[in-house]
Amino acid sequence: MTFNEFKEKIFSLAKKDGFEAQVEFSEESEFSIRYANDDIDQYTDASKFSVIVKVLKDGKIGNSFTETLENPEETYNEALSSWKIVDSDEENFFYDGKGKYLNMETYYGEFEKVPVKEKINFVKELYQSAKCNEKIVMVPYALFQNFAINKKLSNTLGLDLEFKSDGAYSFAMAISQDTSNHSGVWLKVGKKPKDLDPKEIGKKVCDEALSLLGAQTVNSGKYRVILRNTAFDDMLGLLRSMISAENVQKNMSPLKGKLNEKVGSDVLNILDVPYHPLSISNRPFDDEGVPTKEKSIIENGILKTYLHNLKTAKKDNVEPTGNAIRSEISPINLFVKPGELSFKELVEKLENGLIIIGVDGMHSGANPISGNFSLGARGYKVENGQIVGAVEQITISGNFLELLKNIEDVGNDLFVTFGTLTPSVLVKELDVAGK
Amino acid sequence: MLSKAIIQDIIGTVLKHGGDFAEVFVEKKYQNRFELKDGKLEKANTGTIVGVGIRGFLGTKAIYAYTNVLERENLISVAKRVGEALGEAKLSDLVLNFDDKNLKNRHIVYFNPKDIEKDKKVDVMKRAYHSAKNFSELIKQVAVMYWDYDQEVLIANSEGTWAEDRRIRTRLMISAVAEHNGNMERGFYGPGAGMGFEFFDRINVEEAAKRAARIAVRMVDAEPAPAGKMPVIISNEFGGVIFHEAVGHALEATSVAKGASVFAGKLGQKVAAECVSAVDDATIPNAWGSANIDDEGVPTRRNLLIDKGVLVSYLIDKLGGRRMNMESTGSGRRQDYTFAPTSRMSNTFILPGNYYPEEIIAATEYGLYAKTMGGGSVIPGTGEFNFAVMEAYLIENGKITKPVKGATLIGKGYEIIQKIDMVGNDLDRGQGMCGSLSGSIPADVGQPTLRVSEITVGGRNK
Repeated sequence: MTFNEFKEKIFSLAKKDGFEAQVEFSEESEFSIRYANDDIDQYTDASKFSVIVKVLKDGKIGNSFTETLENPEETYNEALSSWKIVDSDEENFFYDGKGKYLNMETYYGEFEKVPVKEKINFVKELYQSAKCNEKIVMVPYALFQNFAINKKLSNTLGLDLEFKSDGAYSFAMAISQDTSNHSGVWLKVGKKPKDLDPKEIGKKVCDEALSLLGAQTVNSGKYRVILRNTAFDDMLGLLRSMISAENVQKNMSPLKGKLNEKVGSDVLNILDVPYHPLSISNRPFDDEGVPTKEKSIIENGILKTYLHNLKTAKKDNVEPTGNAIRSEISPINLFVKPGELSFKELVEKLENGLIIIGVDGMHSGANPISGNFSLGARGYKVENGQIVGAVEQITISGNFLELLKNIEDVGNDLFVTFGTLTPSVLVKELDVAGK
Repeated sequence: MLSKAIIQDIIGTVLKHGGDFAEVFVEKKYQNRFELKDGKLEKANTGTIVGVGIRGFLGTKAIYAYTNVLERENLISVAKRVGEALGEAKLSDLVLNFDDKNLKNRHIVYFNPKDIEKDKKVDVMKRAYHSAKNFSELIKQVAVMYWDYDQEVLIANSEGTWAEDRRIRTRLMISAVAEHNGNMERGFYGPGAGMGFEFFDRINVEEAAKRAARIAVRMVDAEPAPAGKMPVIISNEFGGVIFHEAVGHALEATSVAKGASVFAGKLGQKVAAECVSAVDDATIPNAWGSANIDDEGVPTRRNLLIDKGVLVSYLIDKLGGRRMNMESTGSGRRQDYTFAPTSRMSNTFILPGNYYPEEIIAATEYGLYAKTMGGGSVIPGTGEFNFAVMEAYLIENGKITKPVKGATLIGKGYEIIQKIDMVGNDLDRGQGMCGSLSGSIPADVGQPTLRVSEITVGGRNK
C-alpha cells in the first residue's frame, strides 16, 4: 500500500465514525562512521519510516504509530481505543493549514553525494588531529554523521504539508593524562560539507583535553564565573523546560505568573528563531503543522512569551507559536543574542574567578520545576584576567533564574549545537563546591 | 517474522561481498505508553515497530545497517551494501545450518499486555494517582506514567545461531511534586519488571505512589545540603545506580577494548575494597533487565564481576570479544533494531555484607545519608561521575537528624569502590533505563546499604 492509499483509508475510516484524523509520515536516513583505536569502530548506514495516526473528537486525541503501511485498520483501531481511555478535560485541536509559512531552504542534498571513502577519510583526519600531542593517551571516539528527513503531514481539516531537511555533525573526545585522566570534547554541526573541517574540530578536541592537564579542585565558596558557551548550552536545557506553556499551566515551571516581569539581567536577550543560517534544526512548521515564527522569549531581561502548541495557546487565549515538537513543546532554535565582548575580553572582565567549560549531570542534577541545579563541572581558574590553571572535581550549584539575573555580560562567541545557539555568559556569583 | 530462506539469503549476500561474520536481527515490538496528569488520562499512545538490523564483521571492523522496508529486494540490497563496505569476502561458499537454541523460557508471563484492556491499565494509574495525591496537602502535582511492551526478537548469524526470545515488560512511574512556602520539590518512584499485567498483583501500587510523594514532601522544606568531602551512606536498592554508572560502564567491553577504561588490563587485580563483590545477572526470573538470550543470540548468564575486591570479569559482546580476544559474556544489548548491539549491563548489583543498615548509620559521626538516588552519569575515559541525590538526610553523632536537598555526589568510580568501608545486609534492586551507545535499555541496579568513607558532596555554601 502506498502512503497516500494508507492515508485515504484512515481518513475514510475516521469519517465513517465521525472523527477527524491526522496522519504524519516521516522517513529518516542516517549515515555515520565512528573511529577508535586507529580503525572504524562503528559504521551505520540506515533508513526507516514511521507513521503516526491521530484521531480527534470532542477535543480528545487518540494516538497510534506503526512502521508498516499494510494494516491501516489495525492502526486506526489502536488510535481509537487510545482515544476511548483519554478522559482529560483539556481541549485538543488539529490545525487547518491556513497560516502563512516562511520560505526557507532546509535541504541541500550535498552530504549524501559525498562518497563513503571521503567520509572515512574525514573521520580518520578528525581522529588524527584529536591525537595532536603525546600527552593525549587516547581518542575514545571520533564521529561523523549525516542525516536526511522527509516529513509529510495531512489531516481531514485540509492541512497538507511536506518538508525535507538534511545536515551533518561531527564530534570527538580526547583523553589527556598526567596523574589522572582528563577529557576534551568538541562538536560542530553543518549544512554542507564545507561547514565541517576535520582538522579544525580535531584540534579543538585536543586543545580542550590538554588544557585540563594539572587540573585541581578549588576551595568551596562563591565565585565569579564565566559559563563558557559549551557549558551554558547544556544548562539552557533548564530554560527549554521552563518556557513550555504546558509546564507553566501545570505548575511545573518557576516562570509561572512571570510574564512581562523581570526574570533575567538587562543584558539578556533570548529568542526562538525558526531559521538561523548556522543551525541544522530549522523548520517552517511544527509537528502540528502550525507555521513557525521568530519571537523574543526574554527581551532585556523581561519574559515576553511562553512557547505554545495549539492546546496551550487556546487555554491561554493566545495565538499558537508553532512550537509543538513531537509530543512536547520546544523552541525550534533557542538563540541567546550575542553581546559585544570577545571571549578574551570577557575573561578580562571576569578578573578573578572560574571559567566553566563543561557540566555533567543535567538530566539528574538539574530540577526544571524549581530551577535548582547542582552539577559536576570543569574549567579554568582566572586571576587578574588571565587563565592560570585548570579546575576539575567541583560542582556548581544554584537556581537557574537567580543565575539569569546575575548575568553581568554576554560574549559574542556563538556556539551552535542541535537547536541551541549561545555565546558565553559572565555570572556575578555562583556557589562552587570543591574541597 | 522473516522466513529462514530469506534470512539465509541475507547472511549469504553479506558474506558473498565481504566480511567473515554476518548477523540478522529481526524485531517486532508492540508497546503502550500512557500519561496521567492531575488524575486525568491525558496521553495514550500505542503502536508497533517492525524492522531488521543487518551486521557484518571483518576482523574487528563492524558495519551495521537497518531498515524497515521488509521486501526481499530491499533486504538483499542492504545486505549487499554491508558486505561491500566490509570488503574482502572470506566465506563466500558458506553452507548454513542453523542450530535452533530453543532455550527454556525462564521468564514466564501470565497476562500479556496485548490481552489486557487499556482501561484496566488506566485504573492502576488512577489508584497510584489517588494514593500519592492524598499522601499530604503539600502534594500539588502528580503525574503517573504507564509503560508496557511485548518485544519479539530473532537473531541468526553465520556461525549457525538461530535464537528467538520474547521480552515482556511492564512499568509504572509516579512523579509527585510538593509545594510549600514557594519551594517545589519532586519525588519519583518507578517500579518495573519483566512481567505482564500480573506485575500489579506483585507490587503494592498505593505504597509505590506514596514513596514518590514522601520524597517530595520530605524534601520540600529541607535545608540545602552541606558541601565538601564527607562520609556518605548510600541506601539500598536504587542506590546501586552509583555502582552501575561509576564502575559498571567502565567494565563494558566498549570502553575496556579501547583501553578507554580505568579497569583495562586489571583482571585478577584488586580494584575495590575487600568487602565489595558485585555481579551482573540477566538470568533472574522476570527481573526488569533479564532476558533468555542477549541481542546477539547468546544465552544470558550470571557474571561475577568483582569478587572480594578482585576484578574477575568484564561485560563482553561479540565485537568486544573479538577486540579483546575473549568470549562473549552474553552482554550484547540494544534498544531496538535501529541500534547495533554493544556490551551492556542487565541487572547489576553489589552483593550483601554483614551489617544492619542501622549499625552503619550508628557508626557514622557526621555525613550524608543518601536515601534515594536520582540519576547520574559518568565519563568512562576518566572515571568521573556525578549523581543527584533525590532524598538525603544529614547524619550527626550516629543519628539521622534532618532532611537536606540539592546534594550531588561527584568523584571517580575506581576511587569510590576502594573507599567503601561498610556493606549492609539489605540487598535490593531498583529499576531504571540505561542510556549508552546502543540506545536506552531496561536495567536493574542494586546494592545493600553501604558506606563510602569519603565523597565530594556538591551542596550549597551558606
